[in-house]
Amino acid sequence: MVVSVVSKMTGTAVFIAILFSVFSAGSCSAQVPLVMWSSEGYPLPQQVAPLAGHIISGSQLASYLKTALTSGPQNVLLFLQDKLSMDDFTVYGGVFGNKQDSAFPALEAELRSSASPLVLPALSWPDSGAVPRILQEQLGTSPLYLDPETLSQLRLNASGSSLLIFRLPYSTDADMISPKAVLSGNDDIIRQVLNIIKAQAIPYTAIYTAVRPSRVIQEVSLETLPVARTLLQAPASEPYPPLEFRSGASPCILFWAENLTVSHFQGQWRRHGLSAQTFGSSASVSLTGSTCNQTHSRLVLNYQNILNFRTFRLIFSMSRRFYQVSGRHWFTLDQVELEYDGQKATFNSSRNIYAPSEYSYRCKSVTSFRDPLLTPRTANDNATLWRLSFDDFQIQGFNVTGSDFSYASDCASFFTPGVWMGLLTSLLMLLVLTYGLHMIIQLRTMDRFDDPKGPAIAVPQNE
Amino acid sequence: MNGQALLYGGVTVAFWSTLLVVGICYTIFDLGFRFDVAWFLTETSPFMWANLGIGLAISLSVVGAAWGIYITGSSIIGGGVKAPRIKTKNLVSIIFCEAVAIYGIIMAIVISNMAENFSGTTPDTIGFKNYQAGYSMFGAGLTVGFSNLFCGICVGIVGSGAALADAQNASLFVKILIVEIFGSAIGLFGVIVAILQTSKVKMGD
Repeated sequence: MVVSVVSKMTGTAVFIAILFSVFSAGSCSAQVPLVMWSSEGYPLPQQVAPLAGHIISGSQLASYLKTALTSGPQNVLLFLQDKLSMDDFTVYGGVFGNKQDSAFPALEAELRSSASPLVLPALSWPDSGAVPRILQEQLGTSPLYLDPETLSQLRLNASGSSLLIFRLPYSTDADMISPKAVLSGNDDIIRQVLNIIKAQAIPYTAIYTAVRPSRVIQEVSLETLPVARTLLQAPASEPYPPLEFRSGASPCILFWAENLTVSHFQGQWRRHGLSAQTFGSSASVSLTGSTCNQTHSRLVLNYQNILNFRTFRLIFSMSRRFYQVSGRHWFTLDQVELEYDGQKATFNSSRNIYAPSEYSYRCKSVTSFRDPLLTPRTANDNATLWRLSFDDFQIQGFNVTGSDFSYASDCASFFTPGVWMGLLTSLLMLLVLTYGLHMIIQLRTMDRFDDPKGPAIAVPQNE
Repeated sequence: MNGQALLYGGVTVAFWSTLLVVGICYTIFDLGFRFDVAWFLTETSPFMWANLGIGLAISLSVVGAAWGIYITGSSIIGGGVKAPRIKTKNLVSIIFCEAVAIYGIIMAIVISNMAENFSGTTPDTIGFKNYQAGYSMFGAGLTVGFSNLFCGICVGIVGSGAALADAQNASLFVKILIVEIFGSAIGLFGVIVAILQTSKVKMGD
């Protein structure tokens, strides 16, 4: 009992150890494994296990088979699969502790029950196709190509020699059937064949191998490998500097946006993106008409052929004033105007777009329709037919030193109105709670007239 | 140092140190322009102010009334042990205190009837009338609430004294009642002023 367990363990252990050792040996060319076992009671002669990573050549295989077949049973069942690699055992053999998922239960059972299976993990490819021929030479019989149905009709001679070849299919992931299903099916065929043979009580030697490997890994020379890492994301657009308007030598107005879109309503909304023409190396916008001085700045962007308009101008008017109450200068973006083919549309923005004049103004989203910061000047202005949208908008009209923006005063503040309202109400309730707790905590019962030793109080029954 | 002193000391230190640190940060980073009371007053919703006013009107009045009743009530009950004749007469002090709570609830209902829906979302579209309504309701609620609070406490303490004096000497009660009447008038002043504050309120579109 102990011996059989140990032999089972050594059989499986040897199997798996060889599996892993070959797998970890690395490198990469085409080999086919070969597994050989014999029926119970007819052990194969002990062979020296091949060294890990050693690729068996055809002549070595021939000598292995010769020693095996001279002393073992002469009825050889060759299960010749179309393709097989060691990787198939690793992937589908349930070797990672999930034995129940293995696609080779019959094969493993056979190897466990056989006395000394031969496992050649790496048979060099061109020679593995020669296995039928080698067997034919050594056994001196011609092979019979069979499947389980035809085998059951055959009567074999226990002492004679025969070579029965069973072709097994293989499929790759690209085919309709999953490889695991095919391998399980092949394992089933092996089981059926062996059951038939065992039912006839004929000693056999079985070999499971393949004509060609299922995975051929090409060795790639290092020089051709790309050394630099490439990121797997969509190519990011090149960062571009802000649009500058220079009056004289130094820039005087800076403008930047990630996406600049205008939409016009002509029966339906028609959209046009302007950021490609405005920013970056492909910019074709002209800034004629822009002015700047200490109190007023005007940035004029001139385009051609936008949304069927021959001329199209986008004008930002900014002004800088001193405000008494805060005691500092602030700049506001007063208006954003669109002039197109002689017509005009005006958006007011002084209410929302402002910053201290030393700083730039930045906002994640400046639109005229979605949490609008730009509102049409009057209710029937042409601006109601237009929609402007700037993503990541940043502008500075005064105090420009160099080509970079000054500190950006963001439109999003640290505390939003909602946060303030919540804080105020919570504070009020907290005060109420504190006061109430204070009152309750300092309640004391009157103990002035307590006299534990004195007489109890007498309550008169009548007035 | 007992627990209460520690608690209040700690809370005060935390509050003032937060203010100090925030103020210093604003100054150092030259972000003082971000501290904008006008922005706070125009961006917060008038509904918040209105409802705070309504809540404060009723809650502070009730606190005043409750406080007064508990003070007076304990004295009446205590004095009534030895001089049971004071029980019935001194209930009028309790009624004066209760009146304060009634003023509070009446004003809360009056103010809450003025709250209407409006459709603006930005300071421009909300319009100044709605802001005025919100702030007036808040102010009225504070007015009536605090005056009723102190009126209730006042009437309560006076009523307590009245009950105990009455227990000693029955002729004292009527004189002390006059003091209580004066005390109760101040609650009424609060109600009148609150009504004046909300007389011009017109919330809505």
